[in-house]
Amino acid sequence: MGELHHKTQQEIDHLYKQHFGKMVAFLLRFSKDIDLDTAEDLVQDAFAAAISHWEKQWPDNPAAWIYSVCKNKALNKLRDDKKMLRLHQAPEPEADAISYAGDFPDDEQLRLLFACAHPDLAPKVQVVITLKYVVNLKVAAIAGSLGMTIDGVDKLLLRARQRIKEEKILLVTPAPEAMQQRLPIVHKIIYLIFNEGHTSAEGKVLLREDLCEEALILTKAILDSQMGNIDTCALYALMLFNAARFKARFDENGELLDLEQQDRALWNPDLIRLGTHYFNLAKGPELSSYHFEAYIAYLHSTAASFADTNWQLIAQLYTHLLPNPFAELNYAIALYYAGERNSAFEKLFALQRSAFMNSYYLLNATLGKLYMLEGDHAQAAVYYSKTLDQTRSAAETNYIRKMLSKLNL
Amino acid sequence: MEKFMLLVREDLKKLKEYTDADRDLGVKEMMEWVDGLGANFVGGEPLWPDGRYVTKDAIVSDGPFIEGKEGISGYIMIHAENLEQAAAIAQSCPILQRGELEMEVRPLMITDFPNG
Repeated sequence: MGELHHKTQQEIDHLYKQHFGKMVAFLLRFSKDIDLDTAEDLVQDAFAAAISHWEKQWPDNPAAWIYSVCKNKALNKLRDDKKMLRLHQAPEPEADAISYAGDFPDDEQLRLLFACAHPDLAPKVQVVITLKYVVNLKVAAIAGSLGMTIDGVDKLLLRARQRIKEEKILLVTPAPEAMQQRLPIVHKIIYLIFNEGHTSAEGKVLLREDLCEEALILTKAILDSQMGNIDTCALYALMLFNAARFKARFDENGELLDLEQQDRALWNPDLIRLGTHYFNLAKGPELSSYHFEAYIAYLHSTAASFADTNWQLIAQLYTHLLPNPFAELNYAIALYYAGERNSAFEKLFALQRSAFMNSYYLLNATLGKLYMLEGDHAQAAVYYSKTLDQTRSAAETNYIRKMLSKLNL
Repeated sequence: MEKFMLLVREDLKKLKEYTDADRDLGVKEMMEWVDGLGANFVGGEPLWPDGRYVTKDAIVSDGPFIEGKEGISGYIMIHAENLEQAAAIAQSCPILQRGELEMEVRPLMITDFPNG
């Protein structure tokens, strides 16, 4: 019984992961009298019903079972609401519009992805609703992977909900021209999802790598559907280059390693080759920020060693990503390693004058590192110490403590 | 993508009473928020509550804005798809959510204006 229960739960989790957003959209389209809250409740109910029913009898087609329970629950709900008359005017959903097993992601998921890229929503909201309705993560998982509290995600969804209803975001397929216009927003959403998985070291590392994988899957689906363009290729290449270096980012004790300390033999050559392939496909007359970022990642991924890296070209590429204080920081670092130490420090001091950047741990950690390389360990200690109350990530704090212990004071 | 300025307005009188630690905490919270905006964030600076108010006839020290409940306490520049999105981004500020400040969201008219 215990094993059966486990198997049921696994199957249900798997179905949830593939179908939640599609089922909600299916119910919204089923009748205009079902609102978003009701649709989500009904889908949750259907999954709950599955747990008790499937222990007794396993359905032939689990996904179809849940869809039909959703539909029946919706009919009951509408009957209760005495809205049957209006239901008759609603079109019956086409059977083949729903894919029960299908590949992940299918056309319906891509449609939802473009729907979530609504230009009036804040990027963070776009990311959260994409994770909820396209990637089908539960609120707790979204909170965990974005470094937010469950309460914070709930509040954000609550505020977004009105908008989702007003704009019929999950219901209406954007017109083909609108889809094309939204492609840059879709890219941005995917980029943010990938970055959440990639840059932050706090929380569960595995969960975060999952986010990177989701971002790769969605991008590949856009390319396969012929809806992508050269920016999509550049974005895909950029993510592949970064994904190739995942395994080398932490040492055997789970401690964060910077680029210089990473064992390049651990970088995945297949992913780098694949990234190079898509980077070549991304060639075109008009280049996006993804192109420049992909080019930078390409130079890092294919350099024989840290010292052999083409820092001059990397520094030049960063100038295309300005103005943005975070890009400016990386620009200064590249300048330093390219041998332009004075202008690197000048850039960093300029950033320090911004009160915002001055309380940013990466700026102070960078100054600490560069002062250490310059042999000024006292200054390095000052900057490293400053970062300690500027980060909440345990991995980053450990990294800083390790660097501090290396200083000769 | 268009450029927008978020004019941060808050109670300057209260701001004047802040200790350095209070201010650091506020700046840090703002920093974490703009960090999360990623490439949408262009730049920004907080302002001291003290200043001079200048008119045609006279320089009025401490201007009327000092007493104002909604004096400008800083600005933030962002990139956004449109005004709606810029407003949605502004609304996501946690300090604004707590009702401790308000923001005026204004699109930039000329984005290539010479500015050094």
